[in-house]
Amino acid sequence: MMCPEMEVRLNEYVDGTLAARERAAVEAHLAECAGCRAAIVELRALVTAAATLPKSIPPKRDLWGDIARRLGKRERGNGKRVWRERAFWRRALAAAAVLVIALGIYRLLPPITAHYRPAGQGWVAVQADFDRASGELGRALALERHRLRPETVALLERNLEIIDAAIAESRAALARDPANAELRGLFAAAYRHKVELLRWAAHAATS
Amino acid sequence: MMHSDPTDLIHRAQQGDQSAFEALYHGHVGRVYALCLRLTADVVQAEERTQDAFVRAWERLATFRGESAFSSWLHRLAVNEVFRVQRATRRRAQRVFTSEDPGALERADDRPDAPGVAMDLERAVAALPPGAREVFVLHDVEGYRHEEIAGLTGVAVGTSKAQLFRARRLLREALNR
Repeated sequence: MMCPEMEVRLNEYVDGTLAARERAAVEAHLAECAGCRAAIVELRALVTAAATLPKSIPPKRDLWGDIARRLGKRERGNGKRVWRERAFWRRALAAAAVLVIALGIYRLLPPITAHYRPAGQGWVAVQADFDRASGELGRALALERHRLRPETVALLERNLEIIDAAIAESRAALARDPANAELRGLFAAAYRHKVELLRWAAHAATS
Repeated sequence: MMHSDPTDLIHRAQQGDQSAFEALYHGHVGRVYALCLRLTADVVQAEERTQDAFVRAWERLATFRGESAFSSWLHRLAVNEVFRVQRATRRRAQRVFTSEDPGALERADDRPDAPGVAMDLERAVAALPPGAREVFVLHDVEGYRHEEIAGLTGVAVGTSKAQLFRARRLLREALNR
């Protein structure tokens, strides 16, 4: 019979969770106590038997029918809400992208073509518009990206990195030469690519 | 037995393909049911919790990102479902299982292929008090660590260890009779 005060330590000895010093103390005790040695043999047999119990037991009846019925009810119950949410995101994303592109093009027009341009708004304001729009699209996409295949997400992220690098380069060049119309066009083109890519991805994720 | 690539099945199920999810069900139901059966020691409850686990898995499939194996993710959902219902049930009444519990005996007889020693152990596990049984099943049968069990069941790590050692003592006594 096991020494009652040894129960915790014998269990921990079997589980291999004792520190070296405690393990040595238990082994010294085991060398002198036949009851605890027998208990250790039983504990090890029990732990081995438990670990080798069959991991799979088929249920007596097929449970899929009941599960499918419950899934069907939930789909019907949630269907309208899901559709409305997706439709909202599609409209919101399309509107954001159209607005930012329209604003960007208007602001990049030469002064003679633009009928009205508020004071202080030039390419800096365009950058702010694009930043805001791409931020909104990015956040919308983050909410829905789990619907995309992992390989699509990886490709999307690689493309965004490339576009972001182009944006950063043209932004730096414009900071050095703000009046350069070609640089403005380059900057706008890079940002339009980003917005279009984000808009496409968000649309794909919500379709 | 699954006939398709599990990753593809998971992805299709995430897109709302119920036939892919059915294939996942057939591939995993045995393990989920075994886990629920051992935790509850009751055939009816095990069937209900298995269904709950798969319904919950369907609802949460979008949150499965593949960081862990799908089976580990699913088993954790099943354990959570068992404890969610048991917490509610225990608030109403403490159910005590005995070796004469008919559900436990029926459960052990569910496995015609189980060798004698394993069946004795299954019966003895089913007859354990619920707290000791749950920790024993999670730790010694399923291989969860005490820290994980504490997180799943809401008990302290020390309590998990105490329940495990108590379960082993009761099982040794039962198997030595």
